[in-house]
Amino acid sequence: MAEEQLLESFAGNTALEPVIEFRGVSKTYPSGTHALEDVNIRINKGEFVFVVGSSGAGKSTFMKLIMREEKANTGIINVNGFNLTKMSRKKVPLLRRTMGIVFQDFRLIPTMNVFDNVAFAMHVVGESGRGVRREVSKALSKVGLGDKARSMPMQLSGGEQQRVGLARALVNSPDLIIADEPTGNVDPNMSYEIVNLLTEINKRGTTILMVTHDHNLVRDFKHRVIMLDKGRIIADNAAGGAE
Amino acid sequence: MKFSSVRYLVKEGFKGVWANRLMSLASIGVLVACMVVIGLAILISENVTKAIGNLEKENVVMVYMKDYSWALYSDTLESDVENAEDTSSDEATSGAESTENSDNSEDNASTEDGADKNGIKDTDYEIHNDEEAEELRAKIEALPNVDKAEYISSQSGLENVKENMLEGQADYFTFLDDEYGNPLSAAVKVTMKDMALFDETIKQIEELNGVDTIRSHGELAEKIDAIKQGIYVAGFWIIAILVIIALVIVSNTIRVTMYNRKLEISIMKAVGATDTFVRIPFLVEGLIIGIISALISEGLIYFCYRVATEKISAILGTVVKFGEVSWYLLLVFIGIGLFAGAFGSVIMIRKYLKREGSEFTAI
Repeated sequence: MAEEQLLESFAGNTALEPVIEFRGVSKTYPSGTHALEDVNIRINKGEFVFVVGSSGAGKSTFMKLIMREEKANTGIINVNGFNLTKMSRKKVPLLRRTMGIVFQDFRLIPTMNVFDNVAFAMHVVGESGRGVRREVSKALSKVGLGDKARSMPMQLSGGEQQRVGLARALVNSPDLIIADEPTGNVDPNMSYEIVNLLTEINKRGTTILMVTHDHNLVRDFKHRVIMLDKGRIIADNAAGGAE
Repeated sequence: MKFSSVRYLVKEGFKGVWANRLMSLASIGVLVACMVVIGLAILISENVTKAIGNLEKENVVMVYMKDYSWALYSDTLESDVENAEDTSSDEATSGAESTENSDNSEDNASTEDGADKNGIKDTDYEIHNDEEAEELRAKIEALPNVDKAEYISSQSGLENVKENMLEGQADYFTFLDDEYGNPLSAAVKVTMKDMALFDETIKQIEELNGVDTIRSHGELAEKIDAIKQGIYVAGFWIIAILVIIALVIVSNTIRVTMYNRKLEISIMKAVGATDTFVRIPFLVEGLIIGIISALISEGLIYFCYRVATEKISAILGTVVKFGEVSWYLLLVFIGIGLFAGAFGSVIMIRKYLKREGSEFTAI
């Protein structure tokens, strides 16, 4: 798509501040796999977006491009005010500090207790002392784990571990949270609880981008849904809800 | 980076040693094993060097002076001496140097040509008194490669000779003092610092005024020097190879540690840690492991060396005392420990930091 056409297509949404913007983005891996082809997307501040699609549809590549773990071959990507196309490797940590990431497999450091796992994200941005203790306690209370601060990750259930991951993503008050199948390794009840938590966070103005396979969740929570297939966007229900 | 961040990271490094204690223990074990072997190699080489040093000290050079005795007994003047015996009227004042000839000099009175009763003139020899002898000794001692220069008067030289003779034998030689004067020239006993410069030093001594002959064991000096060089070269290579082996083993151990901790690194990167932030705790951990290993090795070596030397010194005589090399060894150990720790952690972690695309999949 030509640059002018792209700008035109976004002209109607200028009132809202974009958090994620993809313009004509394609990604082909050295192996020859076309992971994404000509993807145009705009996610505004305060939106809750589900990203769905079968395996190999390009969901992981989409997430990797947002956190600048991979670079696009063509097109322009803007995330939280950073131009990822021109960004040097040195600035990548700064970009990542503006977002919270929740992984499917929790990714907690097994040798650190719950408190330290969450505090770690604050130390990375240079916070220390009382501020850390206050914010970590707040984040743990938000996810309902205020009493588990001294537990080790291995002593917690899957759902609890994912909530620690969520607290870690929240603790620096990011503008954007990206969650890669956060309910993939937890039981159905806990899945709803986690999406409820994310919805709560979203209500306070944080943009949420959640990759999921769980159609029930998509159906029950009426949010915007982006559907990927073979590296292309085949549906984008910006109005919310899914068919 | 803020000071509070550095403090946090250093603390994390300390925690890391304990949190990954099994791996820390493995790294310490490997490092200690390498250090102990290196330490033993150093101690053995030090002891051999000391033994050779003792041998070197035995290899003294005797520098004889052109003094009255030399003039009296030297081949060139032999005929003069005979003449002097016949005439016995020629007299000259002998210097303080030839006090052993006091019996002779008592009757000495200057003749017209300045020769004494032995027919020796002042101009026939160069070292006339103790001051001149001392001056020559000082000149020898001032040479760069001379370690010690000890003055041995002709009298004490003769006494030494007599002492070494069998009982009663010495009596046969009393005539030397009484009748003809001491045949031994005053000498300087020279010990050299470096046997490799033996010939050069001998040449320098020969050039000094008042030096007659030099008695030395040049061949022995050469052999000692060759052995010493051999030990230095062998010691250097053995220790260098051991250090390289130590580094390879340590880096392998750390590679295993890193493999176990790549998840940690990927999380750090995902939440926005800079490369330095990721690196510091690992670096601190490496350094702590290095220092702990150095201290353990020092203790172990001390214990082993004490036990070993108790038995060996009884057979071999003097050995290098542990106190003499303890600081040197500790410095070597800490040097290896710090280098291995820093090298291991920083170089190996680079691999994981440079690899893009590992945060999401944690590979």
